[in-house]
Amino acid sequence: MFAKDISTSVKKKDHDGKVSGQLAYISDVKVDSMLYGVLYRSPIAYGKVRSIRLPPLPDGYEKIGAEHIPGNNFVKLLHNDQPIFANEWVNYIGEPMFILVGPKLDILYQLVEKVEVDFEEHPAIFTLEEAIKQKDQTGVFAHHEFGESLDVMESIEKHVYQVIEEVYETGYQEHVYLEPQGMLGIYKEDGILVKGSMQCLYYVKNALISALACEDDEVRVIQSPTGGGFGGKEDFPSMMACHVAIAAKEVKKPVMLLFDRAEDMEVTTKRHPAKFTYRTALDEQGNILSMNVEVFLDGGANAGLSPVVLQRALLNSSGVYKIPHFHAKGYALKTNTVPNGAFRGFGAPQSFAAIESHLGHLSKIVQRDPIEYKRNYLVKQGDPTITNGRFRDPILLEDMIQDLLQTADYTKIKEEFHTFNQQNKRYKKGIGASFFLHGCGFTGSGERDHIKAVVKLEKTEKGQVLIRVSNSDMGQGALTTLSKIVAKELDLPYEDILFPDPDTKDVPDSGPTVASRTTMIVGKLLERAAGKLKAKWQSGVAQEVVEHYIHEDMIPWDEETFSGDAYPAYSWGVNLIGVKVDILTGNVQVEKVYGSFDIGKAIDERIVKGQIDGGMAQGIAYGFMEKMTSKMGKIQQISISDYGPPTAMDLVHIESNLYDNPYAGGPYGAKGAGELPLTGGAPAVQAAIEDALQIPFYQIPVTPELIIESLTRKGGEARD
Amino acid sequence: MIKFHLNGREVETDAPPTARLIDVLRDEFALIGSKEGCGDGECGACSVFVNTLVQNSCLIPIGAIERAEILTIDGFSQTEQFQVLSECYSEAGAVQCGFCIPGMVMASAALLSKNPHPTEEEIREGISGNLCRCTGYNMIVDATRLAAKKGEGLW
Amino acid sequence: MGTVLSYRLEDLEQTIAQLSREDCQIMAGGTDLMVQHKSPMGAPARFDKPVIFIDHLKELKQIYQVNHDLHIGACCTYSEMLEHPLIPSIFKIAIKQIAAPAIRNRGTLGGNICNASPAGDTLPLLYIFNAQIRLRSSKGERVVEIQDFIQGPRRVDRLKEEIVTEIILPEMQADRFVFEKVANRRADAIAKISFAGSMRLDEGRVGDVRFAFGAVGPTIIRSLAIEQKLKGEAFPLDPKIIDEVAADFDQIINPIDDHRSTAAYRKTVALRLLRHFLETM
Repeated sequence: MFAKDISTSVKKKDHDGKVSGQLAYISDVKVDSMLYGVLYRSPIAYGKVRSIRLPPLPDGYEKIGAEHIPGNNFVKLLHNDQPIFANEWVNYIGEPMFILVGPKLDILYQLVEKVEVDFEEHPAIFTLEEAIKQKDQTGVFAHHEFGESLDVMESIEKHVYQVIEEVYETGYQEHVYLEPQGMLGIYKEDGILVKGSMQCLYYVKNALISALACEDDEVRVIQSPTGGGFGGKEDFPSMMACHVAIAAKEVKKPVMLLFDRAEDMEVTTKRHPAKFTYRTALDEQGNILSMNVEVFLDGGANAGLSPVVLQRALLNSSGVYKIPHFHAKGYALKTNTVPNGAFRGFGAPQSFAAIESHLGHLSKIVQRDPIEYKRNYLVKQGDPTITNGRFRDPILLEDMIQDLLQTADYTKIKEEFHTFNQQNKRYKKGIGASFFLHGCGFTGSGERDHIKAVVKLEKTEKGQVLIRVSNSDMGQGALTTLSKIVAKELDLPYEDILFPDPDTKDVPDSGPTVASRTTMIVGKLLERAAGKLKAKWQSGVAQEVVEHYIHEDMIPWDEETFSGDAYPAYSWGVNLIGVKVDILTGNVQVEKVYGSFDIGKAIDERIVKGQIDGGMAQGIAYGFMEKMTSKMGKIQQISISDYGPPTAMDLVHIESNLYDNPYAGGPYGAKGAGELPLTGGAPAVQAAIEDALQIPFYQIPVTPELIIESLTRKGGEARD
Repeated sequence: MIKFHLNGREVETDAPPTARLIDVLRDEFALIGSKEGCGDGECGACSVFVNTLVQNSCLIPIGAIERAEILTIDGFSQTEQFQVLSECYSEAGAVQCGFCIPGMVMASAALLSKNPHPTEEEIREGISGNLCRCTGYNMIVDATRLAAKKGEGLW
Repeated sequence: MGTVLSYRLEDLEQTIAQLSREDCQIMAGGTDLMVQHKSPMGAPARFDKPVIFIDHLKELKQIYQVNHDLHIGACCTYSEMLEHPLIPSIFKIAIKQIAAPAIRNRGTLGGNICNASPAGDTLPLLYIFNAQIRLRSSKGERVVEIQDFIQGPRRVDRLKEEIVTEIILPEMQADRFVFEKVANRRADAIAKISFAGSMRLDEGRVGDVRFAFGAVGPTIIRSLAIEQKLKGEAFPLDPKIIDEVAADFDQIINPIDDHRSTAAYRKTVALRLLRHFLETM
């Protein structure tokens, strides 16, 4: 088996262009007669458009709006409630209403400032709380309920020793990909070409076909080198693509739409804020007898991907635990705020923060160590999932925990911290753990029923092989990992595998670059395709192999009853984080970070380690640093420094460890790796802070403000 | 006309004095290496050397750098120091989406020129003005440390 | 908007001459101004007055001592100050917490002062050093105490024909200096609260004590009256006296809620830092 070989790292294919700055991202592109576009955005949260008054537009400057849309004025996604140009009703501050195009950006900015729109303003729903109160009247994007019958739950609670109820909240998280969003639409006689920063080539193409009411071959989309995505460029780019395509079609010139950082932070999709209510029945020994969860997600002003985020949030609401009687209910609700969307983890980070927090608090109530308490409930191979699916494959969680506790010398550290905390007036140290998983691939039957991925390999006469898939490299190394799989399978040098920018003219739809499916699903298809190509290889002849997704037999997923195998495979993680809290200021310093991960098999060890480093950084910061708020429908943090993602000085090296646990359905045994590393960060950091301060928290981010407030309430060492 | 030195040549521009250096570099001189990630001097993706000091080109009005020597990543990538950094960045796995990387390379170079044997903390401080969202910084720190070793004598 | 003229003159003399003729936007490093006046991406910054560049003027970059007073040129950058042996180490501690290296290579002390942000990082220390600001115009010079120079957020006592040439730090003896900046991350962050303190003990009693807070009011908060209360007191200080001082400050600190933090947090932490400073040595 060459399994060990494939994990060996290689120089990334796009290294030289990136490191010298010469690789052109969309904002680096200039084409002849290119015009810029600037969007006019709604200044109000909810209302009807009465009239629009434009300043006089100089020659060469035009307004393009809903009236110019040949097809449907909505962005084709799950629901049809996201206008391309909102011209009748506006539903959130920042909603695009029309676009001004012209040759000079500074003139466009000045013109946009002079636009006057008259609205009939209506009372808006600004918060999740308000939406929950009115949920029977207002927008429910999705709703599911499943699990143990309510009768059984009720009868358990009646006779039980105690019932613990907790409310837990998670906040926004903003991607802050370094490259702001950008899209270019180029008008051609025979159709429209759209290039830009994106994760999902065919989402964009399908949205364009719907908007332009045109034929399949009249639209071409090419993915530009993409400077980070993390889910923020999953669905949002489709709307931008429609903007530039419609504009380009009208003015018959190329139109470039580039977002400023402030604009990007204010109006693009974010991680759904969430509210969880747990009701857990405990017996006298502190054992869990039943658990009831209610989840609410703040979807923002249109459905977007909220229904699927809700699904994953619900599917993860019991964490990595086998709970005797479990019932869950969830809603994705509409508010008149910026629509929320995909962000690495896609509902899982919220749920794991909640369940890990809850179990940690339960352990405190019954006076047991949180790690020891949680270990009693870990799922095992063969156990059913909460939707009556099955954990078919080996689960190494118990070993991973055991190893990590040993490596980190957990017992000794706890003692050291205890001593330190008694002696030190200003600082308190704590250590916390999190246990988590990620379901790999699209939720439910998405792969089989919606995506139906197809990949293609093209062999040239010279013997080079081109990878034709619709999947993006957005930094996660897909370019390299997929090339490695094909090279290995074909027994060719890595340099002979070429991976041009995905272009709808040349690539079949292998599905979106989301849901940790790229290596596992697309990689597997490429592995099979390469195997077939190898078998029929003819020197000096151009050849082609196409491979289709084959659905693995599992317990079929039923959307209606919310039951079955939601995912074909799971990746697993354990985090252990040590922090130092300054009780004078509430500032938290992360001092030690451990992460152990089972992602099946690393196609490239260094790339996986990079994903761990970056994912954990985002997850940890989600737990205590990054705070975004919305006030009266307006996002308050629109600069990087105000939002506070970590700098190099805020983080430390991560000691990470990979466990081999090959999954037959993945290439060389690989499972999903992209999202898993983020999920465990926040719960572990919260647990560490709680350990340091001996105070429970019921929301993330655990900010200094929250810490000081809690310390003040507790009485604590410092008087005021 | 404002005259200055750009990547070793003398150039001039008739852009207004309050035009940003980043725009003049990218639009007028077609040097795309300096990227705009924020326009506020908070992400470092636009870093250039001004008279050997690393600065954010999005905050520099062109009028202020009359007669100055500007070195962008486009020019710096022709140097031996860059070669070492590029190899070390590759070896350490430091490049993911790449958008922050030109700025990071400039910051690493600036640090090593002043401090050829930096500690971990000094490296983190040296790149503290460069935001990265993909890597969590660790491999970039490793790359810089590696470059300090491999480029012994160059800095 | 028509083209606005800008100036970049050979020397200080010519710069001052221009200022006497025209009201200009003085720009040193520009790291604050270019953000305040920025356009969205791709467009030049917008100013409503001609910009006059000064960061190249050598006359404004001198650092020297006269008797025991330290004179710092208004256009000294943070990086230059960090490398200069005459700059007190407590200032270097504060400066290292400003932004990041690239900003520190451009931002100037004069700029930080004239920007007069409530959260200006050098300001609390300048206040406790009793810094003086020297201004020059074609009509002559004047020297203003910093607490009189800064009048409010972004407002300073500079007449339009004047330019700040240097900052004077009178000699200062202390046994202990403290500077703390509390922010949402460890670099590139705006202070939620900042605190500067100094103490000198004379034979176990407080000989001189000074403290100032940033970001908890429209300008830096310092009270000479409260400092006077502590003079002569035995150290370690009686807890009752610390309580009194904290209560006095509670009255004069008036922080706000904003998108970075809360009034409650700012006030609580400011007072905790004060207590900590008064309790420890």
